[in-house]
Amino acid sequence: MAGKQPKLRVVGRREVLPKPILEQAARDLGFELEFELLDTVKSLRRIVMQPESFDVYHQWHTVDLIWTARAIRPIDLGRIDEASRIRAAVSTRRDGGKAIGSLFEQLFLQPDGTLSSVPSDKLIMLPLLHGVDAFAYLPEVPQLYPPGTQASWGWLLDPRLHGRVAMMSDPVLGMIEAALAVEAAETVVFDDIANLSIEEIDLVADVLMHKKKIGHFRAIWSNYQEAARWMQRGGVLLQSMFSPALSLLRSQNVPVISGVPKEGYRGWHVDLCISSAAEGDRLEAAYAYLNWWMNGLGGAMVARQGYYFVLPDLVRPHLSEAEWAYWYEGRRAEVDLPDLYGEVSIRAGDLREGGSYYERMSRVRVWNTFMDEHAYLVRRWREFLEA
Amino acid sequence: MSQDPATTDRAIVAAVNKPYYQIVREMLADNIASGNLPAGTLLLASVVADRLQVSRPPVKRALELLIGDGIISEGPERGYVVGQAGSFKKIIRTNLHGLALDLPAELAENRGQPSWERIYDETETEVLNCIPFGTFQISESMMGEHFVVSRTVVREVLLRLDARHLITKDRSSHWLAGPFSARMLDEAHAVRRLMEPCALEDCAPRLQPGLLEEMRGRLGTARRTDAAPSPNQLDGLETDLHVTLLQPLRNRRLAEIVRLSQISLVINRLFARHIGVHDETDLLNEHRLVLDHLELKDVAGATAALRRHLDLDHQRARARLKVLSIVDAPSVPPYLSRVH
Repeated sequence: MAGKQPKLRVVGRREVLPKPILEQAARDLGFELEFELLDTVKSLRRIVMQPESFDVYHQWHTVDLIWTARAIRPIDLGRIDEASRIRAAVSTRRDGGKAIGSLFEQLFLQPDGTLSSVPSDKLIMLPLLHGVDAFAYLPEVPQLYPPGTQASWGWLLDPRLHGRVAMMSDPVLGMIEAALAVEAAETVVFDDIANLSIEEIDLVADVLMHKKKIGHFRAIWSNYQEAARWMQRGGVLLQSMFSPALSLLRSQNVPVISGVPKEGYRGWHVDLCISSAAEGDRLEAAYAYLNWWMNGLGGAMVARQGYYFVLPDLVRPHLSEAEWAYWYEGRRAEVDLPDLYGEVSIRAGDLREGGSYYERMSRVRVWNTFMDEHAYLVRRWREFLEA
Repeated sequence: MSQDPATTDRAIVAAVNKPYYQIVREMLADNIASGNLPAGTLLLASVVADRLQVSRPPVKRALELLIGDGIISEGPERGYVVGQAGSFKKIIRTNLHGLALDLPAELAENRGQPSWERIYDETETEVLNCIPFGTFQISESMMGEHFVVSRTVVREVLLRLDARHLITKDRSSHWLAGPFSARMLDEAHAVRRLMEPCALEDCAPRLQPGLLEEMRGRLGTARRTDAAPSPNQLDGLETDLHVTLLQPLRNRRLAEIVRLSQISLVINRLFARHIGVHDETDLLNEHRLVLDHLELKDVAGATAALRRHLDLDHQRARARLKVLSIVDAPSVPPYLSRVH
């Protein structure tokens, strides 16, 4: 193509944009890509206040907020490869065990500017990856409980694990996990665990602060590498865990077990948004990047760290039979399987905790969300971090 | 005693929550433009503050901003002078107290009040303008310095803010303001959707002749333009519907309740200024519906339309508050310090 191609600026969390993905995308697309790894509320602030500073954003439970600020522009579904498959997925996966809850409920832009699941020609985000998170633990932990005890979020607060527990510092996800733990450990029931009231936030924060002061928590980590280090040699037995940290620990031969909480998982999804300021060549490049993801290769690569792609059929041709069987079908690994970086992380004979794709996704108790009382939540969370 | 309806008006007008320095800045600019304050007039912050019966800091800030606007310049010895340096022959020392000025409603009724009352509105406005962005600690001593008032006066103001649920004391007895919670919006809305239509019903038969026509004119202008309205234009429209229309209200108790329930106006104003004004077609249509019913003397229709507008606007304000909660406060008075 004649003329100078602009550099496409992509912003996202480090877990979603590991290096091999960035390199593969840059090779395939033939124009320059500039990736910026941002994963704090500060970065969200930049997305909202300076849409001209990025072209594509891998959003993370904030689509309503960034759309309210009009920091992103609607995506023309007609320009997306595999648009028909996305439409079909929305109509078949809105409810029941195959549902991708909060994802499809706010996918389509309506003529009045609201977001809903009613199909239109405009998407507000291109659905990409999703998965479930919980805590993980070392083999010593189940020995503390009678045989056959099912894992519970309550373990995060269990006095039997005093001084050996770690949590994450992120207020949004951390508060959801803490609420799950408080519900399980303190036998309270929250009205809507995805949207806690001020009193409910207070209750969770008070429990956390008390636990912190008596020395229950060994660490509070801020990224998955840090989490892995705490479990590898920091004395942590049980902690919140992102799946890339599981892969990392397993490639280092740490016998970590991923919890299958009886209360259900914390679900998440990461999707692609285009900046409201993207125009002309940048907009073209943004669509090319979105469509690059639709070829399924990127989805296959992150499958090796445990993530699911919105259209699993497109991922399958890029995985070996054994990989597909382990990651998506929940069957035993027939051979050793590599992680995203080519290191062996799954041994032959391993079985993925929680089972197949649909089994795991149907056990979502709560989806990541920016709660209505976010500001208050942050205030109390900071008190917990500083306690 | 200022027990006349003007007090009520002042209370309602303050709900627009424009910062005081902004009000003073606009008022001075208007009076300079109209010739009330000719080029060369000496403006001393203390004298202007005394003339307007407001405290000094907002006047100082307004004067600084007017220098930036190129409307006034620094005086040769002290103070400020109307006009750019060199644009006038000599300094005119006018007794501002003897000069007829066009004062906006916010300032016109600002007299004869006890000292706490003089700084209450300003403090309330400044607090409301900060708490959507997070949690702030209030320093009593800094506040005293800032407004040049005693600790007693400061406490009187703070206790009143506390009574209105705008600030609280934390466990270590520090005054905390914020964060502006979704619940504050919900609770204010629940009261507002009941009371503001009542206030409108009370006022509808006593509206000033020609007022509706003017308002419909301003709204029509905004609706005819393709571009989104400017933040100022939007402020004007919101003031028309939620403040000016309710000025004939005689029940001071109702007026106070309505004013306190209008806190979402602050959210909308801050959002428009710091995030941007996007498509406001819905708001403009909702406003039109209220004014159309009033024009037809259909008071029941007008109150129903107003309630509908408040309900829809509440949802918009809730979504906007979420955005503001991740943004940094653009300007914070010295007696507030951010804690979270």
